[in-house]
Amino acid sequence: MIQSIIKRDGRVVLYDQNKIAAAILKALEAVQEGNAMDAARVANDVQRELEGKFLDNSPNIEAIQDAVERQLMNHGFSAAAKAYILYRANRTRAREANTKLMKTIDEITNIDARISDMKRDNANIDGNTAMGSMLQIGAAGAKAYNEMYLLRPEHAKAYREGDIHIHDFDFYSLTTTCCQTDITKLFKDGFSTGHGYLREPQSIQSYAALAAIAIQSNQNDQHGGQSIPNFDYGMAEGVAKTYRKAFGRRLRDALEDLLDTDLEQDALFALVARAEAVSGEKARLENTPAFDDAIIRELMAEYPINRANAEKLLKKVKERSFRKTDRDTKQAMEGFVHNLNTMHSRAGAQTPFSSINYGTDTSAEGRMVIKNILLALDAGLGHGETCIFPIHIFKVKEGVNYNETDPNYDLFRLSCKVSARRLFPNYTFLDAPYNLQYYVPGRPETEVSTMGCRTRVMGNVYDPTREISFSRGNLSFTSINLPRLAIESNGDEKVFFEKLLSMLELVAQQLLDRFEIQASKHVYNYPFLMGQGVWLDADKLSPNDTLRDVLKHGTLSIGFIGLAETLTALYGQHHGQSEEMQEKGKQILGFMRKFCDDKSKELKMNFTLLGTPAEGLSGRFIRMDQKRYGKLPGITDREYYTNSFHIPVWFPISAYDKIRLEAPYHALCNAGHISYVELDGDTAHNVEAFESIVRCMHDFGIGYGSINHPVDRDPICGYVGIIGDVCPRCGRREGEEIPFERAEELRRKYPNMPAFQGIN
Amino acid sequence: MTIKTTNEKMGQGVGFERIRRITGYLVGTMDKWNDAKRAEERDRVKHSLKKDA
Repeated sequence: MIQSIIKRDGRVVLYDQNKIAAAILKALEAVQEGNAMDAARVANDVQRELEGKFLDNSPNIEAIQDAVERQLMNHGFSAAAKAYILYRANRTRAREANTKLMKTIDEITNIDARISDMKRDNANIDGNTAMGSMLQIGAAGAKAYNEMYLLRPEHAKAYREGDIHIHDFDFYSLTTTCCQTDITKLFKDGFSTGHGYLREPQSIQSYAALAAIAIQSNQNDQHGGQSIPNFDYGMAEGVAKTYRKAFGRRLRDALEDLLDTDLEQDALFALVARAEAVSGEKARLENTPAFDDAIIRELMAEYPINRANAEKLLKKVKERSFRKTDRDTKQAMEGFVHNLNTMHSRAGAQTPFSSINYGTDTSAEGRMVIKNILLALDAGLGHGETCIFPIHIFKVKEGVNYNETDPNYDLFRLSCKVSARRLFPNYTFLDAPYNLQYYVPGRPETEVSTMGCRTRVMGNVYDPTREISFSRGNLSFTSINLPRLAIESNGDEKVFFEKLLSMLELVAQQLLDRFEIQASKHVYNYPFLMGQGVWLDADKLSPNDTLRDVLKHGTLSIGFIGLAETLTALYGQHHGQSEEMQEKGKQILGFMRKFCDDKSKELKMNFTLLGTPAEGLSGRFIRMDQKRYGKLPGITDREYYTNSFHIPVWFPISAYDKIRLEAPYHALCNAGHISYVELDGDTAHNVEAFESIVRCMHDFGIGYGSINHPVDRDPICGYVGIIGDVCPRCGRREGEEIPFERAEELRRKYPNMPAFQGIN
Repeated sequence: MTIKTTNEKMGQGVGFERIRRITGYLVGTMDKWNDAKRAEERDRVKHSLKKDA
């Protein structure tokens, strides 16, 4: 007689035959094979079987479930038996997922991020802080849920086993990736952050402060990088307002000095407004001959002042207003950079992942913005530290800043000088044919801009009249383990392309499944991104509307990693080693791009091909592939797969050849791409050499590129540059100390040295 | 910033910051990089400016 059973956790509880009958009935009902009577009969036989086996001992759960399976089969309920087996397998998986989840949370809670690779998966989150850990625990829970409940089994399997990687999987059911925020549009008439309403800004300082707040607000609505595509154009309006105000104030001061009397400020602002109305020109940094003339007339009419004095006064007022505006702009840009490196998002776990694009605004105000943001970047943070955020992107365009005779050429030169010291800006090239096709002079929204690691959005099959960069972004992306497909093809090209095609189909379906989740969200789920009309056409929706149509302006991207290893697995060499391989490489990515284009046409949605950033992914795929295939030379014998279409980082090649070979892939990867050139410190600091590389990128049709060189810093003496074993400024080795006296001596030479509490 | 001082000296145990570009953005110090990316950074070779290299 069975009296009790042993549960999974070891507890002994009373045996209850009704519970077994209920479980059997559920299986029968699921496949419509029997009724409660049948269930009771099967349960009776289960009990008989258990009594035969266990006599008076307690059976465990597994033994009971085995008996249920057998008795369902014995009674001829084969479909129900199958359903029951599947149910058991699912429960087992869920239990294992739970155990795994608990282990993961245990690691997040107890292990130092410096030891735990998992906690450094995203270098942007500090896994050692309370909020960083909370974020990682939330992510782990969301991932477990999403895999169990939201993915189709074939997608879950492909993801689990490393055929594909679903990026930002923790946010799978919650939001989209990124957006280019048009700040000009956002600032007009003010906006709400989702927590409070802000009036339209009236000075460059508030423009810059609100730009940082806009990025921060949107970072809470999306999981990817946040970007401003028109930083120079947008901020220029703030500069104009600051100048106009400064002009009115300086005019009053100068006039008061000249006439030795007190004047009403409002009267002078009114005088400026009249001159503007008469001349049709604003008080601006630009050359404004009609306005100047009108001001002189107004001054002579209102005050006892002759023409010569009025002219002299105006000249001085303009100079002083210019200086004041330049100073304010510089401070505003410094504040902006400081804000983006210190302000928190996501409950304090990280600073917003921010990008700003600029370089093409040739107005005097725009130029002042570009100059000062570059100078702020060059100056670094409080102790001279290199700014990590925002990512600066300088837009290069012939006729605007590329040639010596171009109006912003001086700023392009300045950008090279700054990048040679601070690693930013990166460069986008508007003259590359696939970017130039969208470019319309005078319409900044048609200038390609990038966000996050490299994302780019321009084409739009959903609405071909809106092929713009502004107010759009990526919805989601999933990457393919390209080297594995090649390894599995055993050198057979035909097999490889067949495998690739079916993998592309699988990923496209998975992206569409996710789109369904995203499309059913409401405007109220994204109070800033959608509620404030940051996203294209969101301003036409009401709070309770769903997002299906407007989201179609975004992109669904298919990414990849390891073109170099793929070619080596298929043909024995990569594209840095022979021109033939370069052709093969173009053929593979060309195939993937065509798939995306065809899918886009078929569904009227924007499928695009991405050279995946692959920060966490660089090690994930190859670790699994090493377990499967061992260390294959040139394929799986390192700790990482080569990024996107890059020539392997360890392969010796000239900068020129690297750029030449990688450029054609930029044209194919319309969702995003980047190429790097690695320079040693001395070459990088040579501005001519630096500029020659940027020009080489431009001329070969690179879309987005940057130059890497070592930037080290000694926090003790503040030296920024290349530090080998010994700091060139203070002479200490890593971890060594220097006497106070020595520090004082250095401070006399380098006044900007960091100050430490209690020492200086 | 507060640092440890001993016997009128400063800097003990303070390392150098090494900033590198990771996948398009910079990372404050390489302490936060994952193992694979650290390996990649270690393996990077410099590119010469010669055209016929």
